[in-house]
Amino acid sequence: MTEEAPAPQPATEDPTAAATERPLAVRLERVARRFGREQVLRGLSLRLPAGRIVALRGSNGSGKTTLLRLLATRLRPSSGRASVFGRDLVREAAAVRREVAYLAVHGGSYGTLTARENLRLACVLTGAPQDGVDAELARVGLSEHADRPVRVFSSGMKRRLGLARLALRDAALWLLDEPYASLDEEGRELVDDLLSRARARGRTVLIASHEPERLAGRIDASITIDRGVLLHGATE
Amino acid sequence: MTDLKALLAIAGKDFRSEARSRAATVATVFFSSVTLVILAFALGRDAELMRGAMPGALWVALAFSGVISAAQSWQGDLQEGALDQLLTLPFPRAALFLGKLLANWLSMTLLGALLLPVAVAFFGADVAAAAVPTLLVTIALGTLGFAVIATFYAALTANLQARESLLPVLMFPVVVPILLAAVRATEAAVGSGDIALARSWIELLAGFDLVYLVVTSAIFHVVVEE
Repeated sequence: MTEEAPAPQPATEDPTAAATERPLAVRLERVARRFGREQVLRGLSLRLPAGRIVALRGSNGSGKTTLLRLLATRLRPSSGRASVFGRDLVREAAAVRREVAYLAVHGGSYGTLTARENLRLACVLTGAPQDGVDAELARVGLSEHADRPVRVFSSGMKRRLGLARLALRDAALWLLDEPYASLDEEGRELVDDLLSRARARGRTVLIASHEPERLAGRIDASITIDRGVLLHGATE
Repeated sequence: MTDLKALLAIAGKDFRSEARSRAATVATVFFSSVTLVILAFALGRDAELMRGAMPGALWVALAFSGVISAAQSWQGDLQEGALDQLLTLPFPRAALFLGKLLANWLSMTLLGALLLPVAVAFFGADVAAAAVPTLLVTIALGTLGFAVIATFYAALTANLQARESLLPVLMFPVVVPILLAAVRATEAAVGSGDIALARSWIELLAGFDLVYLVVTSAIFHVVVEE
């Protein structure tokens, strides 16, 4: 993909934003992100109201993961402005991290540590109480494996551990990158349950997924990006 | 307090990981031992030369082992996106750097304390009992300065394909003042037993440590942001 000027955006960025008085959880203004000469996000503009569960759709390589990593403060925009709950992603990155919980497409756990140690480490670093660790391990079905090193886990078990780590944090914005990947039906129901809990707590969720049937009825809206450009946003 | 907890949690993670994998421990103990044996063998015919070479041999063994240890310390973080996930959590980047530094420093200091009597025995050096505390302080401060630079540059090169070759090329020019001061302080304490001279080098070493520690801690966040 060659470097190009940011593409113009559709007039309707996200109808759900215009239709409500809710505060904005995410605001992107002509955000671009390049990796060397490759431009992955091209002038993306988006308004995501707080308290909504929104699906992020797009084919492989469309920029979904880049967008989620950018909102999780792991990437800086090459140009444009981005904020989460009114806090600038670059200038106030530390404050943004307090509001955001990210489930990466990879496990994101330390293989030499046990499942319990991985969750305790996350609790210490986020300031979350450690007394919920065992309950979360039980909820995701890993109690029996709590003291085994994560390197011997299957990809589905690592995914479940990631879900437990996400749920331990009381973040306002959840960013989920392909949460159903590698999971069996029981594990997929854990994701469904997580979305229900997010809704009950009034959390904002941006969920990248290739499974629209699974998400039907569980989301408030969806947005689609293609080659780094927002195609449309639609209420469901 | 929270920052200190984060720092200790990071250091504890590295210690636990190393205790289970022993990847860096095996490599550094083996490499440093082989270095001392080869240098002792090469200089073995001249006892006076051997005694004089002991401080240099000790720090050569420690320095090259320190590079291996620092490079290894980031490898676990890079697997399965663990570091990437860690960096989305709300804790200061300086705590990550200082936690990893603490783990690297203590490993190097322990290795130095183990190598010291081995080097003294191999090279036939005379060490007065009064010089031992000075030698231990030299090892602690020398390895601290070395670990500061090694941990920083290992993070800088962790994602590069040529990290094994780039790390020593980048860090050794910066770490030379530390190594020179450490060798001179060791030499003064071992050879002539001139503790006053050793202390002056130790003060210089402490100064370098402080400057490097402050600068690297302040700019470390730039290294891990993309």
